[in-house]
This record gives sequence, C-alpha cells and structure tokens, in this order.
Amino acid sequence: MQRRGFIKKAALATAGAFAAPYILPSGRLFAATGSRIANHVVMCLFAGGVRNFESMQKAEGNLMPFSLTGNESINPQIIGGMDALPTPTGQRLQQQGTLFKEFRFNLGPTGHFSGHSTALTGQYNLADINIKQRPAYPTLFEYYRKHNSPSMSALNAWWVANALGPYPALNFSQYPGYGAEFGANFIQPGSIISVPGYNALGDPKSFSTTELDKVKNLRQFMDNNFSSNYTPGDAGITNNEADALQIENYINNAFDEAVAGQYDDPWGVGNSMNGDMYNVFFAEQIIKEFKPELTVVNMQDIDVCHANFTGYCNNIRKADYALWHLWQTIQATPGMANDTILIAVPEHGRNETPNTIVDAYGKYALDHTSDEVSRQIFCLVVGPPDKVVQNRVVSTVTGESIDTVPTIAKILGFQNDIPGGMLSGTSLDQAFV
Amino acid sequence: MKRANKLYWILPLLLVSFLSSCKKDTDFIYGVTDVNVQKPDANKPNVKTTFTFISIAYSDLFGANISQTQLVEIQTAYVAFGDQRLIEQMIIKNFLNDGGADIPTQTEMSANVQQFIKDSYVKFFNRLPNEFELWHIENEVAGDNTITPELVYFAMMTSNEYRYY
Repeated sequence: MQRRGFIKKAALATAGAFAAPYILPSGRLFAATGSRIANHVVMCLFAGGVRNFESMQKAEGNLMPFSLTGNESINPQIIGGMDALPTPTGQRLQQQGTLFKEFRFNLGPTGHFSGHSTALTGQYNLADINIKQRPAYPTLFEYYRKHNSPSMSALNAWWVANALGPYPALNFSQYPGYGAEFGANFIQPGSIISVPGYNALGDPKSFSTTELDKVKNLRQFMDNNFSSNYTPGDAGITNNEADALQIENYINNAFDEAVAGQYDDPWGVGNSMNGDMYNVFFAEQIIKEFKPELTVVNMQDIDVCHANFTGYCNNIRKADYALWHLWQTIQATPGMANDTILIAVPEHGRNETPNTIVDAYGKYALDHTSDEVSRQIFCLVVGPPDKVVQNRVVSTVTGESIDTVPTIAKILGFQNDIPGGMLSGTSLDQAFV
Repeated sequence: MKRANKLYWILPLLLVSFLSSCKKDTDFIYGVTDVNVQKPDANKPNVKTTFTFISIAYSDLFGANISQTQLVEIQTAYVAFGDQRLIEQMIIKNFLNDGGADIPTQTEMSANVQQFIKDSYVKFFNRLPNEFELWHIENEVAGDNTITPELVYFAMMTSNEYRYY
C-alpha cells in the first residue's frame, strides 16, 4: 500500500514537473523568449578609476554637469586647471534615466584591466590575472552573438578601446564553446586612424570586384589544399566577406576624412579635445556607420590622477561631456534614436587616502589599491521614457559591477538563453519601465 | 674407413655454409628515387606572430628587411583591429601598391606560367606546388589573361597557408 502510494505521488510529481514550466500566471502556455527592452545598447566604461567623492558626492563641485543635476561650483583651488568646455543645456543625463549612486565593484583587485574584464564578463577576477591571456569566462559579446536569436554578425558587436596593451583581448574569451567565433569587432581607433596607421594602411592597391572574385577563387583553391593545420579563429574574429568589405571601406573613408582635416577638432572644443573624447568620437562614427546592436566604448584619461589630481578632475569633466555627446549622437542616428539604452559605469574607484604627489594646485594624487572607497562607483542607465525609468536616483547601495552583463542580456532579450550558472549577477530591473 | 670418407664431404659443406651466413645483404638499386608522401600543407602547424607575418611579407615582396620604424607602425595598426585577416589584407594591398615591390610583369608571367607558379609557391609557401596545384593554377592563369601577377600574389599572401609556418 505504501509502495503504491509512493508510485502515485511520484507519477503526479513527474507530471507536474513537466507541466509547470509551461503554465504561466498569464495563462499563456509558453514563456515568451527573446523579448527585448530595446534593440541597441551602448555601454560606456567611464573608466580610469573615478572616485564617488569627486563624481556623485561632488567634493570638488559638479564635475559632471552634463550628467548630473546641480550647479555646485568647482572648487576655486583647482579652477585654474580646468579647460574650457561647452555649457550644458537641456536635460541632464540623470534626468533621462536611472542613476545608481552607490554601485559597487565588490571583489577582485581594483586594477583597470581587472575592472574592464569584470564589466565585460560579469565575473570578478578572484585568481591571478594574466594580462596576456584572454578572459577565462565568456564576454558579453560572446553571450550576445551565441545566444541572441537570430544570431548576428560581428558587425553588430563592437569593442572600441582607448588603448592597446591587454585591452584587445577583451573581445572574446578562451571559454570552451565560445571564443572567436562569437567575438566582437575590436578597434583601437587611435592606433589606426593616425599618421602611423595611415602609413601602414592608407595607400592600398585597388582591386575591382571582378578582380577580387578571381582572388577569392584562387585563394579558395589554396585554402582547400591547406586544411589539416588550419585552426578556425587563428586570426581573431572573422567578419564575413560583405561585412569585411564594409569595414575596410569605413577605415579607408576615415583616412580620407582625417587627411582632409575633418578630425582635427570634430566637436569644436579646440585644445580641450583629449584622448577619451577622441575615442568616444570614433565610437560615434562606428555607431553612425554600422548602427550596432551592442557597442562598448571606454575612457581612461581620468587615470592621470596617480600624479595629477586637478588633471583628474578636468578629465572627469571631459568624460562627462563626451558621454553627453555620445548620447546626442545616438539620438540623432536613425535606427538608434529612441531604441537605444546607454549604460555608463566606471570600472572601479580610487583610494580614500592620497599618495604623496602634489600637483600644481596643491592637491594630492590618488591611487587605487582595493580599499573600500576604491570599490564605490556609480552606474547611470539612460534611455527612452517608455523603456527606462526617468529621473530616478537610487541612493542606497544597489547593484554591482557583475550586474551590467545580465542587464544588457535582458535589454537585448537573450538573458534566458544563457546557460544557468554562467552569470552570478542580476539585472538592474529598477531602471526599467 | 667409411666414417672418415663421410667427414671429407661434410667439412667443405660446413665451411661454405659458414662463409655464406656471414655475407652482408646486398642493396639492390632499381633507379627509383625515394619519396616521402605527405599532404602539401604538412609540417606547418604554427600560426605566424604579427611580427613574423609582417617581416616575412615585407621581405617576400621587397627582397629586403623591413625597417624598425615601418615594422612598429604596421604592427601597431595590426593589433589595433580584432579581425586580423582583414588587416592582413589591407597591409598586403599597401605593400602591393608600393613601387618598390618586386612583382613580375604580366609578360614575364605569361612567358612561362608554370615557372611563375613554381617560383611563387617557393617564395610564399616555401615549397613547390604539387602536380594538381600546378595544373589547376596554370589552367586558371593561362585561361584568363585578366589574372595578373598581383592578383596571384594577393591570393597567396592572404591564404591560410601563408599565415602558418
């Protein structure tokens, strides 16, 4: 009797287990997968190590007037070190979205690469980091290209970095089953659209389409005879033929425009244009050209703070202006306007205690060596009013660096397709309507 | 007496047998050369580094070593883009457009297509083409006078095999 009862219960439990996932409170039989909040995401790593004292708490005045409300004047002690920038008009970015003022970089070393890697993989680096190796866990780009349905070409995923060094390695990981096949197009514009870049690539032999077809035939024959040693992904990510041609044309056009002087002062800010602003400018060009679904761009000039606190404050202002300019470009780009969510987040903060270097304005410099203050950052989510909660400020400790990957996965609708256990962060649902 | 006669016969036989057993084997040569049969792409398991790729491509086309300045410039552009195959194509196109590149003329190629193909294979792949490769590419080149040496060079230098050593 007991045995029969057990079998009956087990059978009911099994039937329930099969049926339960399909019966939703809404009455629908199947859960909708792939529903998106928006069709484009731009993540801007407001990086280089920004301390909440200078950003959110405005200890030196409002250094981010394009992003943050408030007219706190800049500390007179450092005002002489501030370059001229346009005056903000209209709504600040925080009014066009949700600001998490007490975001955290909770674990791992507060190093630039560690912070970038965390933001792009959704995993803290708790083991030793080998900056010569690709990340151990899949990147945001790989999750997107592998799990988004339909799968998108690499033309839809861009990683625009301000520097070389280890940063080119962040466009795909070494994780089994992911890798180059699902990676993003990486570009470090400052090294390509430059005089040395022009010398290397700027004067190509032109081939007609017919000629390129003949080259393709010959090459295909040769490649077919060279198969046993060939490893896919040996040359990084591979764009398909049509996309590669588009990218090559884009680079060649950029050379032409640079030679014509169009990049000398593209935002009309004169000598105030720094490397971060140029990097964002090139990201804007990519956005206008390709309208990618997923773009990540970073800024790091803020890191001058190791030796120059006033320069750091000045570069926070420039990064703030660049972020605002990026948003204006997105809103002025057909296909991206009103369908893009912008996420801005530093990779980590800076120490509470300064080092011994004093700048020309008498201010002590700051490093970032994993103290509690260097883990305090912010996260700003900006988007159209029908997608992102407007003018919300979350002042309690909410969200952490590993949350941006699941948040973007949710925005683009592939969060549920990522295998369970791959990500430990959660999406920043408070930001969305 | 009879037993002694028998021994006279056995001793020479043993001697002949002993001597013949110590003779070295004869190597017969039939006039056929030994050939190691292997796929044409064998023994190229390593991907060239960016440094190696640029240096070799330059010396293959210009017959000289690349200058340090030029190497750094090209290498920087090379690593600044994630699709290295695309950048390699752009680098090679720039090399091919340089007046200093040592590229045979169309007339030179047409005068002896087989030799041009053999020379190109040795130059770029460090090996001779096999008979099938030679036959196929000769057919392509000889049957289409719009295929220039630049096109053949561009195809070879952007092929998978050229990325390996």
